[in-house]
Amino acid sequence: MNRNLARVVATLLGALAVVLPALAGAYPLQVARNVMLYMALAITWDMLLRSGQISFGIAGLFGLGAYASILGVIRAGMPAWASIPFAAAFSALAALLIGYLILRLRGMYFSIVTLALAEIFRIVIHNLHDFTGGPEGIVAPAGVIFGGSASGLYWLALVGLAVALGASIWFEKSKFHFALTAIRDNEIAASSSGVDIFRWLLATFVITSGIQGLLGGIFVQSYGFATPDSVFSADFTLLPLAMALLGGIHGTVGPIMGAVLLGVASEWLKLQMPYGHLVVYGIIIIIVILFMPRGLYGLARKMARPAEGRAE
Amino acid sequence: MILDIQKLETGYGKLKVLLGVDLKVGKESVGLFGPNGAGKTTLINTIMGMQRPWSGSVKFDGQEIGGKATHLVARSGIALVPQERELFPGMSVADNLELGAAWVPRAAGIEKRQLDMVVQLFPILKERLKQYVGTMSGGQQRMVAIGRALMANPLLLILDEPSLGLQPSIVAEVFERLALLKKEVAILVTEQNVRESLKAIDRGYVLENGAVALEDSAAGLAKNPHVVSAYLGI
Repeated sequence: MNRNLARVVATLLGALAVVLPALAGAYPLQVARNVMLYMALAITWDMLLRSGQISFGIAGLFGLGAYASILGVIRAGMPAWASIPFAAAFSALAALLIGYLILRLRGMYFSIVTLALAEIFRIVIHNLHDFTGGPEGIVAPAGVIFGGSASGLYWLALVGLAVALGASIWFEKSKFHFALTAIRDNEIAASSSGVDIFRWLLATFVITSGIQGLLGGIFVQSYGFATPDSVFSADFTLLPLAMALLGGIHGTVGPIMGAVLLGVASEWLKLQMPYGHLVVYGIIIIIVILFMPRGLYGLARKMARPAEGRAE
Repeated sequence: MILDIQKLETGYGKLKVLLGVDLKVGKESVGLFGPNGAGKTTLINTIMGMQRPWSGSVKFDGQEIGGKATHLVARSGIALVPQERELFPGMSVADNLELGAAWVPRAAGIEKRQLDMVVQLFPILKERLKQYVGTMSGGQQRMVAIGRALMANPLLLILDEPSLGLQPSIVAEVFERLALLKKEVAILVTEQNVRESLKAIDRGYVLENGAVALEDSAAGLAKNPHVVSAYLGI
């Protein structure tokens, strides 16, 4: 894509994100918050995918952060705002311990273990009734952060998105880009070029999980309560995944495009046919995998520069 | 001695593949020959830390490296051109080359000089720096792979079957370039194509059934009746 055009689009989107609270009412802001949340999750999922590791554990680390945040407020007396970075730290620490054990696995084995982890977290929180509130969930006595102000919650979600975006762009510009692409392409050539594969994977897993925990904290503070079924919902794994696949993987732009399209479309579909949007999601994933393996962004780049085929 | 391997034994599960190999590489170019299954790739994997030695020692530049992690072996100054799939197809030629130097302290600060050396050795890469390597021919990809290894400014360059899957004219070209390189860097190269590689090496070992069966100069090997009948096919 044309570099200048990309810059103009990015600036316009950024400006729109900043002026939106002044122009839009509560409902569009709520939709925007949702889109930004899923966009941020899609970006973090893609960041780990750049190393070739497919995680199905987004909901697990997201939900863990959500519970860390709300329990931090209720059990440890933290102020609501402080519980959000605490949630990030908690999920990052959990990812460090888990990653140390499971990042030696590859391919399907890694994916399945991450899927199982999310379920294990949910069950543990389900059963620690006295501490976590169990299946009925737990309510923050002070209520929603910022007294539930629509623009306050919007800014909070925007901060969460900015953290994910910043990290993703940093990954693209720094040595992470080299290391992760090398690991994805060819582990033998990577390690024999001096890449410490395990450490790069661990760092990536910890950073992306920390951001997922942060988003979980933002989510739970925006509603003032958590139940195991709401914060560990498979939606938090499947929707970001579908968005990144639709928009295009292995970069920052794809997940943004996918999240805007699918996020707005699903909001509309929900009104047209409740629960029908999930069927549409499934169909989109199938079509994208069959016909556009690099997503919409990959397709656009291919059409702009057909000669320079990007080999996979 | 740059590489000094003594009484090296290793294997997979209960199967012993290397039965006490002794091999030395000084400032020279050394060939490693032998039939499929003799243990050539196992030996290289053990040097590179992808395979643990059961016993014996692997000394590189005076330091024991047997059992060290692969990335640490690479950073200490051994560059490997692995067998076949040796590149990062999702990256451009320039990125592949840059990556070769990115993690190796010996290459820090002299990337420009190394790049000049690589494009001088393989001029075709100069005009293709922006191309994705997945779209290049097999011979060009092999050149990028060798170039990437050289970017690390290695003390020892190891090539595992550099002629594999290449057409004869390209094989000859690759060995021509390796012959030029041996002034700059110590080389250990495994090959099935003994005839071509004899032009590029000073000395060679023949590995059979996990042990060194023969060790001689290139000229000596070319005249050896066993080598002639088993590997040169005359």
